[in-house]
Amino acid sequence: MKAGVDVGPTNTDAALLDDDGRVLATVKVPSRPDMPVANVRSALEKLKATDLTQVAVGLRGSATSVTRRRELRRVAVLRISGDSARAVRPLFGWPADLRDAVNAGAVIVDGGGGLERDDWTPLDRAAVSRFAAAMAGTAEAYAVVGLFSPLDAEQEQEAAELIRAEVGDMPIALSADLGSLGLLERENATILDAALSGFAQTVADGLGTLCPGAAVFVTRGDGTLMSLEHMSRHPGLSLGSGPASVLRGAGALTGLEDAVVADVGARRVRVGVLSGGFPEEAVGGARIGGVPVGFRIPGLIKVDRPVDDAELAEAVDRLQPGADRLPLVTVGGGAQAVQQGIHPEHGLAAGAIGAAVSPVGGFYERIVRLPDRAAVAAAMDAVMEEARAVAVLAGADPRQTVIIHADETQLDYLPGPFVKLRARAAGPPSRW
Amino acid sequence: MDIDTDTLPAFARGCAVLGSGGGGTVAIASVAAMQALEDHGPVRVVQAGDLDPDLLVMPAGTAGSSAVMLERVTGTEEPVHLRDKVEQLYGTRVGALMASEIGGANGCMAVAWAARLGLPLVDADGMSRAFPGMNQTVMQLRGITPTPAVVCDERGRVLVIEHVTGSWLERLVRSSLEAFGGQVASTEYVLRGRQVATATALGSVSRAVHLGTELPAPLITGKIAEAVDGILVEGLGADQGRLVRLEAGSEFVAVLEDGRPLACVPDVIALIDTRTGEVVQVEQVRYGLRVSVVRLLCDPIWYTPEGLRLAGPEAFGLTGLHSPPPSPPGFPCRAGTGEAS
Repeated sequence: MKAGVDVGPTNTDAALLDDDGRVLATVKVPSRPDMPVANVRSALEKLKATDLTQVAVGLRGSATSVTRRRELRRVAVLRISGDSARAVRPLFGWPADLRDAVNAGAVIVDGGGGLERDDWTPLDRAAVSRFAAAMAGTAEAYAVVGLFSPLDAEQEQEAAELIRAEVGDMPIALSADLGSLGLLERENATILDAALSGFAQTVADGLGTLCPGAAVFVTRGDGTLMSLEHMSRHPGLSLGSGPASVLRGAGALTGLEDAVVADVGARRVRVGVLSGGFPEEAVGGARIGGVPVGFRIPGLIKVDRPVDDAELAEAVDRLQPGADRLPLVTVGGGAQAVQQGIHPEHGLAAGAIGAAVSPVGGFYERIVRLPDRAAVAAAMDAVMEEARAVAVLAGADPRQTVIIHADETQLDYLPGPFVKLRARAAGPPSRW
Repeated sequence: MDIDTDTLPAFARGCAVLGSGGGGTVAIASVAAMQALEDHGPVRVVQAGDLDPDLLVMPAGTAGSSAVMLERVTGTEEPVHLRDKVEQLYGTRVGALMASEIGGANGCMAVAWAARLGLPLVDADGMSRAFPGMNQTVMQLRGITPTPAVVCDERGRVLVIEHVTGSWLERLVRSSLEAFGGQVASTEYVLRGRQVATATALGSVSRAVHLGTELPAPLITGKIAEAVDGILVEGLGADQGRLVRLEAGSEFVAVLEDGRPLACVPDVIALIDTRTGEVVQVEQVRYGLRVSVVRLLCDPIWYTPEGLRLAGPEAFGLTGLHSPPPSPPGFPCRAGTGEAS
């Protein structure tokens, strides 16, 4: 049997499911502020579950930490780009108080890559060591961000080794692990991952001892799960995971792969789209504490309560992907306040159910230059293999991890046939 | 007028409007401009008539893939490399900077670079909007030679292009893009103060600032009703019952209602998200989006036979279409300014 837990600001919901995904029980307990692990424990106790093999937990702690500027580590930021990316320095445009809470110091050193092997500049190793040494005693974590590192992470790894040689064992977040191109957003996300690493480790340790015998996972913003170990390294991936789980749960409860979902909360309704069983992403990615971070989160339209029917209808209509109408599914703690839509049984606990039924996910993206169209297939195979590897790293069962989405985008204004390839993989949580 | 950290957001939004749905996103360029203004202070905007006749004016901008700019967010030294080489080639100091292209990212980039060089920015540009080709400029139409042109990257690798026409310039710069890893900074059609008044699109900088806060009445307000097989906007509210089709390449190039053009390139066609107020680029169009479709005329020279040959409907593969009369009764837009009348 498996359990899903959704720690909300007011209540913590939990659901017990059998191995075929049937909902056996749901419970609700009040949430105590800033005690995510204790809230999960209370909910599981009330669920009276025995012989759990899997627990999946949705947390909002990362976002809360950032918005309240609490439990954040001070981060030394190393950007490897040389002159190729100085027009916007690290942490530029951050809210001053968040920057002050997080920034231990930042530097741009020479190095970094490009679209092709010949574009690479050697890493200024001496500058990395000097910076690491200068930050010793001030920085509680390091963020390493290399130009085009999602294409080749070698220089980031080289820099991490140099930092370790200077300051010993320290949390070091590497931007290549986040996958997507977009230097500033990837850098901001890496800095936040480093800043949240202490908080995340504490939560991971707490959750890890909660259910001996069960594999424990946490939800993430793209509607998939990750292991505690993965979460402790990339806590930012949990941004947007609350709404993502609700969308997944609405799909699981109705058997729909494609739907518009209204999640009715105490103060407002969040409307999002389920597409192929997963949340449709927000255009432009996530912002946290006013900082663009590019994490994949669900695209939502929020409507305040009390609900104006016309306003909700417009939100639903705006999210329809095409002229063919998708069904509306209405879930969440306040679902009975909204007439429209399908109201599935157990919809009040859609977030907890969504967590319980979700697979572990992995995403990979790269830009490749191809001699001709015939080469796309082989390049895409490689990208899909990487996406599978990322999913397995996040805790998916390697034997059952499959590609759930792959696409290609032709890049404009480049003479060669450059193509952006993206793939997402997912598999059931590994028991081991 | 100055562009400072207070006026930059309006200017950047105006640049996005003048991108006509393309020209590269202002998202990164405007942040680069903000940092340059914070580091170096405001940029003085000068009028064509106030320029010394012999002053060397350097048009500048970037070319390349917006996907590359997302990663290579540009450096601080490109304008220095361009200026140094131009001064060497022309044997005199550069006295002012001008945006090669006001629409999209390059409008903001010009502000960043003027701030870094401590140069005034001419209230003009080469296009009065965004166009895909670097030879689609007013300077080209007015017979200014594009060369010597200078192309460089952030690390000071510099290429000089000599003795070519506008279309050859386009061809050589595009082919150098591959070697430069997908992004370059460039200056071409360098001109003298006395030429600015007749050979550029005037008033572009102040127009962008103005458009950042005030747009003319839209052609239609509604929702995107089709985004995959062509783009359709279905009217809502006062426009209920109307349906218009948008033609788009890398920019929006035409708006059609019942087969008649409401706007057509060289007109600027901007989509504004009515909920957020954000400017919507071609690749951001999706079903259900609530938008206003706004038409702006661009510099009158683009409506002459020579202008239309270089950047009219047929240059964008549209045959049998033409921009409707510039000032139909009640149309609140005047040529060359885009200001509400």
